[in-house]
Amino acid sequence: MKELRYVITDEIGLHARPAGLLVSTASKFDCNIKIKNKTKETDAKSILGVMSLGVRTGEEIILTFDGEDEEKAYEAIKTFLEANL
Amino acid sequence: MLNKLKEMFRKGNDNEITILSPIEGQACDITEVSDPTFSGKLLGDGIAIRPDKGRMVSPVSGTIAIFFDTKHACTIISDEGAEILIHIGLDTVNLKGKYFTSYKKEGDKVKPGDLLLEFNMEGIKEAGYDLISPIVICNSGNYSEIKTHTGNKVKELEPIIQIMQ
Repeated sequence: MKELRYVITDEIGLHARPAGLLVSTASKFDCNIKIKNKTKETDAKSILGVMSLGVRTGEEIILTFDGEDEEKAYEAIKTFLEANL
Repeated sequence: MLNKLKEMFRKGNDNEITILSPIEGQACDITEVSDPTFSGKLLGDGIAIRPDKGRMVSPVSGTIAIFFDTKHACTIISDEGAEILIHIGLDTVNLKGKYFTSYKKEGDKVKPGDLLLEFNMEGIKEAGYDLISPIVICNSGNYSEIKTHTGNKVKELEPIIQIMQ
């Protein structure tokens, strides 16, 4: 199990487009990936779930990776977040 | 009891979910939308409406799952479980709610035709935004096929998407 903490700096937060991109990145991997913020936790492979977190700028998200390819997934999501959010 | 009766009288095939148009306008293929988030089906398969009227109504019987603070988009989960995202215009998140008036909130139960949102088409256009409004099924992957009816003008509540289980 790996954990990734990240503070969103995008001015508008985790809205529809970045949520879609995050989910499509997460969906490339077999491991279970959860995402949570201060209000709730959801499946990082569900577009509706990720959008429903309503993550705003300045807010911290915590992702957990659990499964065989968790290392690869962790790296891919980290790269995505740093480049986009 | 009532639910059982409703179940019995539900129209059409049980293996199909019908999504009605939430907006009056021209029904277009989702691939015609200039934003790759939608044309690339990143958020799911669906359709787009070029609005003729600044009104959005519920396309199904269901529950409002998300109403964005910026009011430009909302997600409804139909009673059958389809996750429907309706996004008014492109990049309109940047308007931060200006030109939008919402009439429902997260958690509200809705029926087809319930007014969800009004938007000022002139204001949005003058601010430089494309009004084309994608309607996508976020959990498209759960279904065998998403059929769309494009190429025509549609009124509110005309069928636009057929989801096959």
